[in-house]
Amino acid sequence: MIRRLPRSRGDRVRWGVVLVLFLFVALIPPLAGLNENLNPDASSRFQIFLGTSALVLALWAISYNLMLGYTGMVSFAHAAYYGVGAYTVALIFKRYHLPILLGLAAAPFAAAAVGVVTGLVAQRAVRLYFSLLTLAISQLLFSLAFTWYDFTGGDNGISVTVPDQLSDYTTLYYFTAAVVGLCLLLMFLLVRSPFGAALLSIRENRQRAAAIGINVKVYELAIYTVASLFAGMAGGLFMLYQQQAYPEMLYWTANAQPVVVSLLGGTGTFLGPAVGAFIYVVLDNAVSKQFPYQFDIILGAIVLGVVLAVPGGISDAPTVFLRLRERFHRGEKAEVAPAESAGEAIRMFDVRKALATDAIQAEEVHPGQTLLQIDHLSRRFGGLRAVEDVSLEVKQGDRHAIIGPNGAGKSTLFNLITGQLKPTSGTVKFGGREITGKAPHVIARTGIGRAFQITTIFPKLTVRQNLQFAMLAHAGYTVRPFGFANRIFYAEAQELAEAVGLGAWADLPAGQLSHGDQRAIEIAISLALGSKLVLLDEPTAGMSAYETDKAMELVRRLATERHLTLLFCEHDMSVVFSTARTVTVMHQGRVLTEGTPEQVRHNPDVQKVYLGELEQEELGA
Amino acid sequence: MTPGQVLLFAVGGLANAAYLFIVAAGLSLVFGALRVINMAHGSLYMIAAFVTVVIGNQLGAGLGFWGGMLVAVAVAGAIGGVVEVLVLRRVYGREHLVQLLGTYAVSLIIAGAVRIVFGANYRTIVSPIPGHLDLGGYSYASYSLFMIAAAIAIGCAVWAMLYRTSLGRNIRAAVADPDLLNATGVNVTRLYTTVFMIGAALAGLGGSIVAPSQAVGSSIDTDVLVLAFAISVIGGLGSIVGSAVGALIVGMVISFGLVIPATNPFALAFVFIIMTAVLIVRPRGLFGLPES
Repeated sequence: MIRRLPRSRGDRVRWGVVLVLFLFVALIPPLAGLNENLNPDASSRFQIFLGTSALVLALWAISYNLMLGYTGMVSFAHAAYYGVGAYTVALIFKRYHLPILLGLAAAPFAAAAVGVVTGLVAQRAVRLYFSLLTLAISQLLFSLAFTWYDFTGGDNGISVTVPDQLSDYTTLYYFTAAVVGLCLLLMFLLVRSPFGAALLSIRENRQRAAAIGINVKVYELAIYTVASLFAGMAGGLFMLYQQQAYPEMLYWTANAQPVVVSLLGGTGTFLGPAVGAFIYVVLDNAVSKQFPYQFDIILGAIVLGVVLAVPGGISDAPTVFLRLRERFHRGEKAEVAPAESAGEAIRMFDVRKALATDAIQAEEVHPGQTLLQIDHLSRRFGGLRAVEDVSLEVKQGDRHAIIGPNGAGKSTLFNLITGQLKPTSGTVKFGGREITGKAPHVIARTGIGRAFQITTIFPKLTVRQNLQFAMLAHAGYTVRPFGFANRIFYAEAQELAEAVGLGAWADLPAGQLSHGDQRAIEIAISLALGSKLVLLDEPTAGMSAYETDKAMELVRRLATERHLTLLFCEHDMSVVFSTARTVTVMHQGRVLTEGTPEQVRHNPDVQKVYLGELEQEELGA
Repeated sequence: MTPGQVLLFAVGGLANAAYLFIVAAGLSLVFGALRVINMAHGSLYMIAAFVTVVIGNQLGAGLGFWGGMLVAVAVAGAIGGVVEVLVLRRVYGREHLVQLLGTYAVSLIIAGAVRIVFGANYRTIVSPIPGHLDLGGYSYASYSLFMIAAAIAIGCAVWAMLYRTSLGRNIRAAVADPDLLNATGVNVTRLYTTVFMIGAALAGLGGSIVAPSQAVGSSIDTDVLVLAFAISVIGGLGSIVGSAVGALIVGMVISFGLVIPATNPFALAFVFIIMTAVLIVRPRGLFGLPES
């Protein structure tokens, strides 16, 4: 299950950067001393101080990037947790006269405690409104620090004189470096773990993340809390070298610093913000002393440059990097070219396998017990009855098609089954278990997979990762904050990718593949989830006739080989009649009729419904 | 608290609500049509406030202010147009964090530029409508009453623009379906620029109108922006009526929060408590549009 992967050139480059950074950090104090000897104007104390502040900023920014870069959340409250960390140290040391290192140990937990409570509140909203809620939270905490004179010292904040052992600049520097290093290591292990994989999948596609069984809200709250924990640590360290905590640390505009630093260094890489922090501190020191206002303009220009120059958003940076590397490497493995024309992958799969499939397909499929049972299901949108009193049974092993003109309620019915919508009334049972109105990730875990009408995959993850992450979620491993996600289920995902004809493209970002191949990935994700029932919402929409044939051949083969039950809706009648064993016809939200393809084809009501739409097609054929 | 005091603080609250409404209406209008939260909205407000003060004082008391206001609103609108063409056009339809960061970058650049051009000192301008109205033992600044009247007039004008002109019809159509609107022959690109310029001009008008009643400094951009956010969130982004209701709530809370002893230090905190409460109960605000 776990396999050691060969180190690629990219890995070697990455570890080289880590080594250089490590040496740079370790050598700052001696270099500063050397600089002072050569140039009496340069104070080594000051330069070591700058080094300390860069380290703390790096920790703060990387903790911010856990949200920004890895989960795609923009928080305006992160500075508040940083401030809470600083205040914790100051209060414990100054007000309660306890050891300052005890304060430092408590800082991350105090920040995390505030983080988890306020995070729960912020979670009530998503995306933009989430950001605005964090803004309100941040201003609340700021007002509290600003106005609660007796406790926080109000607008003056709290000044502290740190004990002698820590007042030596070099000692404090190495102490800070050690703490920051340990925190970075912990965060690195976290983002590489199956838990980190869940975060990445949320950033890539919330809907798909839920559909592979990830409880998006819980994971977002978890990373929000973890980020505030490390922000609290950074704030505590800030307190040690600045020897003060003040309310402006919590003001919402203070979040600009970690954001700018993350963007500067790159949100797509783990250590990017650390590099950004050192650049920022140097730039700040060089420019803002003489030209404080120009510094704002430079920062603005940097942010604007990054935002406008990296297409697809800042979270796209890794893809740009991958694409460049891909271009660089293409010469070496010329035989692995991305699928250029639509459906090429499917075209290329083993002909013998396809022939064998036809043989299996010729056998009669015997529908078994009821797998999915829908009783009197209705859903209204205001006055519109999108689905009205629909009852339906899907038998085990069946290939069940739902057809009907546009607006018949097919997609709404699918959304009711997989939990995207909650029914107004009625029940849905799967394998005898009631799943009515459950959340999408819960339903996904019971064994219903889904390919959406608009292809829903993780576009920036590789084909293999798409499948690996689904397998991780299915196995329940995504709760693990340890282990390397990319090494788990590696072989299984590769095998599955090969089974759907995409083995050769397993290392490409899924979004680069053709439309038909992306649909194949989506179906493979359902298989990776071990789904017993797979819902396909117009599986061949937008495909050419040739692609359609090949795609449905794949679907039929997989269904036979893996004993799947299919429920699909489709407009292409040739697809319906070549694949379905049972057909349900819907019209204006209701079930019009149900039967074998042959019965449905000759039903006069169905002909009436489809008249005009199907006349030219093969209704009479 | 006597009835006279209540009236005094109510009028103070209305005056707060007046300029906040003008600013928030601009923010909300832009969000409604363009689905972009403009982080540089407060910066346009700040520029206009500075321009009003500098030009107004240059031209002389009284009439000078009105000249300053005209220039200020024009400058804010023009900068809005430039920002829309150079920055926003490239971020429509992208993730919202890209839009937040893009307009945030603009706000940083404007903040730096304002400090270079106008310096870091606070500036003031005398009220163009001096005098006050005495009522029940308390006096009310005439200018506050003017601000309230002006806000009502501007609110009506924005409403009339949206519901009684072809431009407003196009804006509302763009909110519903920009592609379809484009297909009917309306230049949506230019429409967006126009809407953004109107939003920017409203920010400018707010900054200009508030200048005689508050000291103008280089941090008023973020102060007003965070209040405008609170208003938009409470009232609902994209709704002009929502902006008015939100501005009333926030304006009153600030006015009364400053005097009621129990809430005294927490006046601003109160605004954010309300904002949080509204978002929890009604995630789209009282009159809000869904996030597309």
